[in-house]
Amino acid sequence: MLQMIGKRSILMLGMLLGLLVITFSISHIAPGDPAALAAGPDATQEMIDQVREEYGFDKPLVEQFVIYVGGIFEGDLGRSVYTTRPVAQDLMVYFPATLELVIYSILFAIILGVPMGVISAVKQNGWVDNLVRFVSSSGVGLPMFWLGLMLQLYFGLQLGWFPLGGRLDLMTDPPTTITGMYTIDALLTLKFNVFFEALHHMVLPAIALSFPALASIVRVNRAEMIETLSLDYMTNARAQGISKFRMIAAYALKNAMLPTLAIIGLRFGWMLGGTVLIESVFDWPGVGLYALQAVTASDFEPVMAVTLILGAWFMLTNFLIDIIYGILDPRVRGRA
Amino acid sequence: MKDMSRRSFGRLVKACAVAGLAVASLGATMEPATAFERVDGGKVLVIAGRQPVSTLDPSVKYNASIRSLQQALYDALVKYDGNPPQVKPWLAESWEQSDDGKTWIFKLVKGAKFHSGNPVNAEAIKYSFTRTLELNKGPSWMLSDFLKPEGIVVVDDHTVQFNLEKPYAAFLSFLPWWYIMDPAVVGAHVEGDDYGQKWLTENEAGSGPYKLKRFDQGTLYEVERVKDYWKGDGGSNIEGIVYKLIRETSAQRAALMRGEADIVLDLSPDEFDQVAKAKGIKTSTEPALTAFGLKFNTKGKYMSDKNLRKAVAHAFDYDSLVAIFNGKAVLQTSPFTDDIKGKIDVPGIPRHDVEKAKEYLAKSQWPEGGIELEYVYVQGLEVERLMGLVLIDNLKPLNITLKMVPLTWPNLVARGSKPETAADLMAIFATPVSVDPDAVAYQYHPDSWGKYYGTHFYDNPKVTELIEKARYTTDWEERAPMYAEIQKLIVEDQPEIFGMMRKRLVAYRDYVTGFSYTPVRMTSEVDYYGLGIGK
Repeated sequence: MLQMIGKRSILMLGMLLGLLVITFSISHIAPGDPAALAAGPDATQEMIDQVREEYGFDKPLVEQFVIYVGGIFEGDLGRSVYTTRPVAQDLMVYFPATLELVIYSILFAIILGVPMGVISAVKQNGWVDNLVRFVSSSGVGLPMFWLGLMLQLYFGLQLGWFPLGGRLDLMTDPPTTITGMYTIDALLTLKFNVFFEALHHMVLPAIALSFPALASIVRVNRAEMIETLSLDYMTNARAQGISKFRMIAAYALKNAMLPTLAIIGLRFGWMLGGTVLIESVFDWPGVGLYALQAVTASDFEPVMAVTLILGAWFMLTNFLIDIIYGILDPRVRGRA
Repeated sequence: MKDMSRRSFGRLVKACAVAGLAVASLGATMEPATAFERVDGGKVLVIAGRQPVSTLDPSVKYNASIRSLQQALYDALVKYDGNPPQVKPWLAESWEQSDDGKTWIFKLVKGAKFHSGNPVNAEAIKYSFTRTLELNKGPSWMLSDFLKPEGIVVVDDHTVQFNLEKPYAAFLSFLPWWYIMDPAVVGAHVEGDDYGQKWLTENEAGSGPYKLKRFDQGTLYEVERVKDYWKGDGGSNIEGIVYKLIRETSAQRAALMRGEADIVLDLSPDEFDQVAKAKGIKTSTEPALTAFGLKFNTKGKYMSDKNLRKAVAHAFDYDSLVAIFNGKAVLQTSPFTDDIKGKIDVPGIPRHDVEKAKEYLAKSQWPEGGIELEYVYVQGLEVERLMGLVLIDNLKPLNITLKMVPLTWPNLVARGSKPETAADLMAIFATPVSVDPDAVAYQYHPDSWGKYYGTHFYDNPKVTELIEKARYTTDWEERAPMYAEIQKLIVEDQPEIFGMMRKRLVAYRDYVTGFSYTPVRMTSEVDYYGLGIGK
């Protein structure tokens, strides 16, 4: 087990470096000139050159790369030409917002998705199953963006049950920053009204974001459950008179959970990268919006930083899933 | 199984119908839930826009959202006001210009003070202009060829004199964008040699009608009204204004309908028409200086042929341009947009005329057509995409095909920077920063080549000479005929398809008072001074 963790960690570092080289090259091959864009549309050549020098874009590419990688080890992710602030400082604000949204979304998807998959498998072809299957196929098929807009229009505008967007009401001051996640910070500072307000703002974007994950969790879980339930040892268990609940929850679900877990891990990784659409519908000030703004301004240091963080995140979740896999399934441990 | 999927499909159809009905009924039942925000009994106005404010520093950057806030927090010597836009006294109560046009003397109002309590004096004017010139960012280019820091002289506490290197007729027309900063406050926040840039990004040192309350990057920006503003309240009765970021236009529409935003800035023409019909909503449709044109690459393989340019310009269906904007646009009758001083209606500016287009084509190097032109536009800008589709149709009779290439803005700008890479046609919106004709004419000067509005690489020595002569001439009676001549010559050379002037579409709740507008402001730029709530 330890050997596996060690091997995978080294592999991950290598992959991150590769990712860095690729994003760095792509953003420097792209034709957009960040200095010209930062200097403004009417800027003279002299003004553009001055910005280029200020940000070190005039140095040779290899030197820029070395400076950039060197900076990362000191926690310096570069400086955004667009916001003029250090990228690390910007990300401290935007990353927790996204992480919070993703955590609530995946929790929602798991808490709803796993039982739905189980019930659907147990009551195969009943009306519950049909309903669940309808929901899950639309979850795979519906564009998240569209779903977000519809939720916003119906539950936000029409019924007025939920806010249209943002993390808090206009006039509410955010809780003191501890983690940067408003719900957690509000609880830690005992501001319960802010906690509920933040939660209230979370509902629509979290549901919209969780839908595709929910759908795939349900589908995979259902399929696995159906397969597991038809196996001989289940018949044997039934013959031995083990209670139906125990049979499903303890024996079948544990085995069916393995592939489901893989899907949860993958989805958790994807979600972080996929928040950009939901963030722009609900004006959620997270990394997705930050990256989008950076891309449209050819502002490549933030783009690289976001790619790096999302990449690391994706690898990390997969890594964790592998470890959990190893714990759940002894056969995997040897295969590291 | 097959049976099953059919049943699911039926459900899906039903669900879609329900969702459709729900959406359709939105217009009928929407009532504002909250109306304006209140804080401690005072009223706070909420403006929603999609563009973040990356910095507040007046010497560093300007765009529509940045300038809206800069205008609220800072004052300048003069200010644009009215329609047509005029330069009005602001921190300067009067000014005079020497006969040779090189010396300008401004008398400052007495009693103007910064938010810190310090007086706005001639020293502050000198400091602010010097800072912008020395940092050489943002608005610096407007005056850097004509004004050096040494040329700014403090005559007395309330008199400042500018000695220009050479006469510049447009000098005054740029001053509204040169905001005045408090030297003491900026000086107290200088780090190293940064001239206070780091601090001024998210803080202010102004004398404007509002002071900064919250700068919550990426979410909202709040300003608080200065109760004893030296110029008076301008009819305002509010505590402050929140500029809130709402990036999706449909969400802006929803926020306006629900009363979560009082003014929204970026509705699409269709959304604008929808809200215009709703109860409690007022709309403003105002002309603007912004021109939309399709720039030809006059140094390119095809478009260097003037007859081909004229052929394409006559093949283009101009009415469809206006239709794309639901009628909220006016066709250009000159390279200069309306409201630019000295603009004339140029006779013979092309309109849709297939016969004429064919005549010109016959005279070109490709009398039979048979070529493919490249049309580059901004990815995601629906109106520009529609324009391309119209053009494909229009060029068919000439046997010319059109390749549509959407690019992100940075990539579009990069392609337009050199004649070798610029596309045959590029869709460009351009807003001049001043109403002086020099600001538009200069877009056709070789100095503008490669800038986004200069992707035409237009080269006519006679026009260049006239532009240069006119900008150094101070007597308007002499300048006016020069600009008339420039406009005619440019139209004759057809470096672009002269398109239309899109109107500004701003929608607001009917209780908003004091909304004023001047065409020189950019799309989505609002003047906060005098805004109020009448309920």
